[in-house]
Amino acid sequence: MAGSRLEKFGTIYTRVRDLLRSGIIKQSDKPIWYDVYKAFPPKRNPLYVKTSTKSFNMNYGKRQREDAVPDIFYKEDLVRAKFYEVYATGPRPLDLSRLNFVSTCQRFVERYTELERSGSLEESSLFEETAKALLAEGVVLRRGKRERGPAVTVAAESRDPVLGVKLADILEEQHGASSAEKQDSEVHTARTSPQ
Amino acid sequence: MAARVLTKGLLLLRNPRLVPTVLYLCRGQLHATAAAIKPLQSNIESNATDNKLLNQPLETADFFRLSELFSLKELFDARVHLGHKKGCRHRLMEPYLFGCRLDQDVIDLDQTVENLQAALNVTAHVAYRGGIILFVSRRRQFSQLVECTARDCGEYAHTRYWQGGILTNAPIQYGLGVRLPDLIVFLSTLNNVFQQHVGIRDAAKMNIPTVGIVDSNCNPSLVTYPVPGNDDTPAAMELYCRLFKMTINRAKDKRKHMELLHGPAASPTTTSS
Repeated sequence: MAGSRLEKFGTIYTRVRDLLRSGIIKQSDKPIWYDVYKAFPPKRNPLYVKTSTKSFNMNYGKRQREDAVPDIFYKEDLVRAKFYEVYATGPRPLDLSRLNFVSTCQRFVERYTELERSGSLEESSLFEETAKALLAEGVVLRRGKRERGPAVTVAAESRDPVLGVKLADILEEQHGASSAEKQDSEVHTARTSPQ
Repeated sequence: MAARVLTKGLLLLRNPRLVPTVLYLCRGQLHATAAAIKPLQSNIESNATDNKLLNQPLETADFFRLSELFSLKELFDARVHLGHKKGCRHRLMEPYLFGCRLDQDVIDLDQTVENLQAALNVTAHVAYRGGIILFVSRRRQFSQLVECTARDCGEYAHTRYWQGGILTNAPIQYGLGVRLPDLIVFLSTLNNVFQQHVGIRDAAKMNIPTVGIVDSNCNPSLVTYPVPGNDDTPAAMELYCRLFKMTINRAKDKRKHMELLHGPAASPTTTSS
């Protein structure tokens, strides 16, 4: 049967329609889908669109494309960002297999918005107030800092006392070890001598 | 190499009782007998029945009542709205995206609902008219699922390596007089190396309409009825397979019902080769 294999020109519908119109395909050989397509056409004509790889030239075009898909941000994201900054991940791991799972961060955000809506407190104290409220409910929030700026100084502070303790321990161990070794060597010699 | 053969669904394994439709009163009539009956009718009468049988469904917008098969909430629960990362985004998918949350694309489910509705409608109509539907997916995770879906609705599936001339060189590869599919459903439009599946271009060449689940890294331009949605999550794939299976079964049952009402069509289904 005749057909048109030019997928880059027009759509399948236009090609088959023109073949039917010109009589190359007979009405009895009409494809099954033709009437269905005519009655229910797609929202967008399935025309071939050339995807050019040389799209890096135009900077203006690239800026437009970034606007095409907007970023999704919510007002509560500010609260969430601060929560993760201060507390790292919450005490409870996220269980995404359950659809209606409420994480610690989400509870924090909900309590924060409630307190904000009540309007009794100022901006700066809202964060601490929500933490206290959650603590009252039994959610323990431990301050786990992230590994960026603060962590380095924390490690530096803790290193000095550790070093100091180590020296004393090492000396003690050395004394203890040397005395133990002397005893062991005596035992060994005692054991090995009969052989 | 594995056998590169179309796995054919067995027609007799169709189960009409799985379809929860209210109007159908035919209780388990044997499939084989209804098709075998071909009473002698005059040409005028046969044309009239043909018109009624074939054209009546095209007049209503949702003849098979497919909108009750799924809802936006079901799509959301099956994670259909999750796309790939921003770097993987295809330029032509931008109109179908709702937004980008922390670099992950979110597909607009309102558009998905409309497009899925259109796609299922077309599948149902093609199945109603006795068209051959071919399910294609090159995702090895879901090849078993796709093949079972095709078998359960009496249609065909191809989830193996796509040899170059399957559609374009069919008479030589399969012998003369091969009937090509009338609709190809791509449950994933990409192949294993993340390029567009050859079947999309081949179907456009052979004037075969395609229905395709396009993810945010796919090219939707050549797909006749694209459905923007996630093609990586098992939950989403199971949802699509279930929906396609139900539509095709519904359409075939409706056809049998209509044939009983109006008498079977005298002219056989047209062959498109």
